[in-house]
Amino acid sequence: MSSGQKKRNFQIEAFKHKVVVDPKYAEKTWKVLEHAIHEIYNHNASGLSFEELYRNAYNMVLHKYGEKLYSGLVSTMTFHLQTMSKSIEAAHGGSFLEELNSKWSDHNKALQMIRDILMYMDRTFIPSTRKTPVHELGLNLWRDNVVHSDKIQTRLLNTILELILRERTGEVINRGLMRNIIKMLMDLGASVYQEDFEKPFLDVSADFYRVESQEFIECSDCGDYLKKAERRLNEEIERVSHYLDVKSEAKITNVVEKEMIANHMLGLVHMENSGLVKMLLDDKFEDLGRMYNLFRRVPNGLSTIRDVMTSHIRDTGKQLVTDPEKSKNPVEFVECLLEKRDKYDKIISLAFGNDKTFQNALNSSFEYFINLNPRSPEYISLFVDDKLRKGLKGVKEEDIELILDKVMMLFRYLQEKDVFEKYYKQHLAKRLLSGKTVSDDAERSLIVKLKTECGYQFTSKLEGMFTDMKTSQDTMQGFYATYGAELANGPTLVVQVLTTGSWPTQSSVTCNLPSEMLALCEKFRSYYLGTHTGRRLSWQTNMGTADLRATFGNGQKYELNVSTYQMCVLMLFNGADSLSYREIEQATEIPSSDLKRCLQSLACVKGKNVLRKEPMSKDIVEDDGFSVNDKFTSKLRKVKIGTVVAQKESEPEKQETRQRVEEDRKPQIEAAIVRIMKSRRVLDHNNIIAEVTKQLQSRFLANPGEIKKRIESLIERDFLERDNADRRLYRYLA
Amino acid sequence: MTRASKRKSDDQNSTPIKTARVDSVRSASSKAAKKVEERIDELYTKYVNQSSCVIEPEGVEALCSDLKVDCTDVRILMLAWKMNAQKQGYFTQDEWRRGLKTLKVDTITKLKKSLPELEKEALKSENFVNFYRYAFRYCLTEDNKKCLDIETACVLLQLVLGVRYQAQVDSFITFLKSQSEYKVINMDQWTNFFRFCQEISFPDLNNYDSDEAWPLILDNYVDWTKRRDNVATA
Repeated sequence: MSSGQKKRNFQIEAFKHKVVVDPKYAEKTWKVLEHAIHEIYNHNASGLSFEELYRNAYNMVLHKYGEKLYSGLVSTMTFHLQTMSKSIEAAHGGSFLEELNSKWSDHNKALQMIRDILMYMDRTFIPSTRKTPVHELGLNLWRDNVVHSDKIQTRLLNTILELILRERTGEVINRGLMRNIIKMLMDLGASVYQEDFEKPFLDVSADFYRVESQEFIECSDCGDYLKKAERRLNEEIERVSHYLDVKSEAKITNVVEKEMIANHMLGLVHMENSGLVKMLLDDKFEDLGRMYNLFRRVPNGLSTIRDVMTSHIRDTGKQLVTDPEKSKNPVEFVECLLEKRDKYDKIISLAFGNDKTFQNALNSSFEYFINLNPRSPEYISLFVDDKLRKGLKGVKEEDIELILDKVMMLFRYLQEKDVFEKYYKQHLAKRLLSGKTVSDDAERSLIVKLKTECGYQFTSKLEGMFTDMKTSQDTMQGFYATYGAELANGPTLVVQVLTTGSWPTQSSVTCNLPSEMLALCEKFRSYYLGTHTGRRLSWQTNMGTADLRATFGNGQKYELNVSTYQMCVLMLFNGADSLSYREIEQATEIPSSDLKRCLQSLACVKGKNVLRKEPMSKDIVEDDGFSVNDKFTSKLRKVKIGTVVAQKESEPEKQETRQRVEEDRKPQIEAAIVRIMKSRRVLDHNNIIAEVTKQLQSRFLANPGEIKKRIESLIERDFLERDNADRRLYRYLA
Repeated sequence: MTRASKRKSDDQNSTPIKTARVDSVRSASSKAAKKVEERIDELYTKYVNQSSCVIEPEGVEALCSDLKVDCTDVRILMLAWKMNAQKQGYFTQDEWRRGLKTLKVDTITKLKKSLPELEKEALKSENFVNFYRYAFRYCLTEDNKKCLDIETACVLLQLVLGVRYQAQVDSFITFLKSQSEYKVINMDQWTNFFRFCQEISFPDLNNYDSDEAWPLILDNYVDWTKRRDNVATA
């Protein structure tokens, strides 16, 4: 700093003062500063000169008296803090915290000023000697002399905890004061905050909530308890936001969660008359939502809810499908299933936040119990049949889609999809042939959905059926265009030409058609074969219908809608007044069981008895006589006698269908085995079983015993062989 | 084809190479061999049916009585095995020659003496599977080219395995006769039954695992046995 000018005689001296030589210099300077510190602590700082004090401090450090300055600072500050401490100790009851707070505030202000004054020391002496900086020093001294003083430390903690307890029991406390005190602890360092406050706070809270939760659980039901737990949880969160360190939030919420929820989880869920199951039954969305939100905070909380829900659904589902009452009406059966599904969908979306794991649990439960009843595929098909026949009449398109989507959802749960396919085909055939479908669009829409779900193969035959219907319409148009004029006076024929492979197999036994029809049918046959060479037609007389105009002896005229068999029988009476069963059988050649049923429907059903039977018994024997019932009356002009409505199968029919399904599965299993072995060449037993089962999963659940049987059959037919060395390996024989 | 092969050892009608040194030895042994062949053929003519030129069942019966062995004796079956005879109850000349040559016999007495040796050989573990499978094939007929009916199978089992695994065979035969699902046994099931006797502890059947590749008929057999045992102890 010397000017460096040597022109003048005198030199401007640098900082070096003569005072340096003065040994008392340090002492004097220190005294000044000491005095200042006293004044500051005595709220007398206004009379001090910052510049002077700063300079003094600066000089001390510069002249290497930093040590003296520092130690002086320590002792002076300590002195004052001890005074403060005594004052705080002396405070009574409620004013303890206030006094502490006030003194803390004072100390901070003082510290600030002192730090400013001693800034030079802070920046130079302290770093080089690695001593604690002033501000931190101030805090440490406060901590050691005040907060950790014997008479204060425990009392402080107890006071704070006492206040918190009071607040928890409903009193209002001075939150601002608490905030300041807690902030003080935070300012003193994380370890002070944790050791002096947080740890004990958490322990005490745990005890508090442990006791409280025990009390609650003995006197509240589940819903109420959860409300209380939620309230407490929110309280704690709010407390933290108001006067605790934000890092404490997770810790205190953990405590509440553990004591109030985790420890009582099972008890709550299984609480009689108010637990989870009751909530599910009563659709208590709010309570369920609360439970979900609380339980998700604790480990295994959600899985506990999920497990109880799953077993409940499985149990109630099992009851539903094995209830013989419900099984009586297939449509009702399926409606119950849909209701159940809707119920839980709603619960999961409203209360469980659309949680995917719950959705999956619901799906797996449904899959489990739906397949417990082997008639489920049949019933679902009957449900669809009912809807497509009349249930969807007048329903808007988007609602139709909704219902069909729901049906698809149930379909997905089925393990035996091939059984469903069989029934669906049968029912669809009846619907198409009787023209009884409500909406063609709805039918096609469902086929598309099935195709998306299961692939082309599943629906190709069904689509074939629709195509046949359409083609038949065109064929009929062509037929009447060609022969229209000729046939104008005769009966009208409507033929549906069905491709054998696509439609459900029926054994076709033709009967003798009345002569009026025979010629017409033959004409059609030759017309058709004329345009389609190489095909064979066989009349399915067991599947047709006819409309007859009948005039009875009493002058009444009616239009009768009957089956083809019934028509054959009735037409006979154009030529004879009465006929015996034997004669009818001979003339029509209708198979006897069908004929008996047919005659019963014509003669023994009230309101539809167009024939009279002698004797009047219900059973039909060879010698029974039949004649036209000239006394027949009906309220309607059009009387429907023969209907071909899809119905729940009788036992023997069910057995037959089941057998056919099993037979159909055999080649499918074999095809899968051959496919797999062809690509793998060599494979061991367990793996084949696993692979085959997987491949066939989308259609049905393959039985390992059945797969084994098919493998053996393939070995016998030299498609596969066993490996010579390891009998568990199979080898593909090209 | 090594010389030790029993099934397909051909007629050793190789013409001896005429070298100076071995000539005498060869011609001596070839003369001896020729003699043996002649005797074998002579023996053949004793039993052969003149019109068909093969030994027919009556001839076999005569052979058996000469050997003082019952026709249904397993040793006859083993003899057939040695001959690799294709048709049950019939021996062709080739088969006859093959069998007797391999056994190194040319008279009835010698043949009779060789039977115990033959039996031992067939029962040796390395040959037995071979013999066992042969026995099945031997009993197949024109009508049943791939399977044996249950009756025949039971008899054959008793014959072939009865000595070694009497308990298993008895039990299995009872099962076969009492069930109605299977009317025939195929080669795969036949072979696996032997393996079953070898590997599975009897009568507890503890180490039987139906998930392994045992034929379904054996799974059914094990279930049947277990049910019977339960009924017995209950």
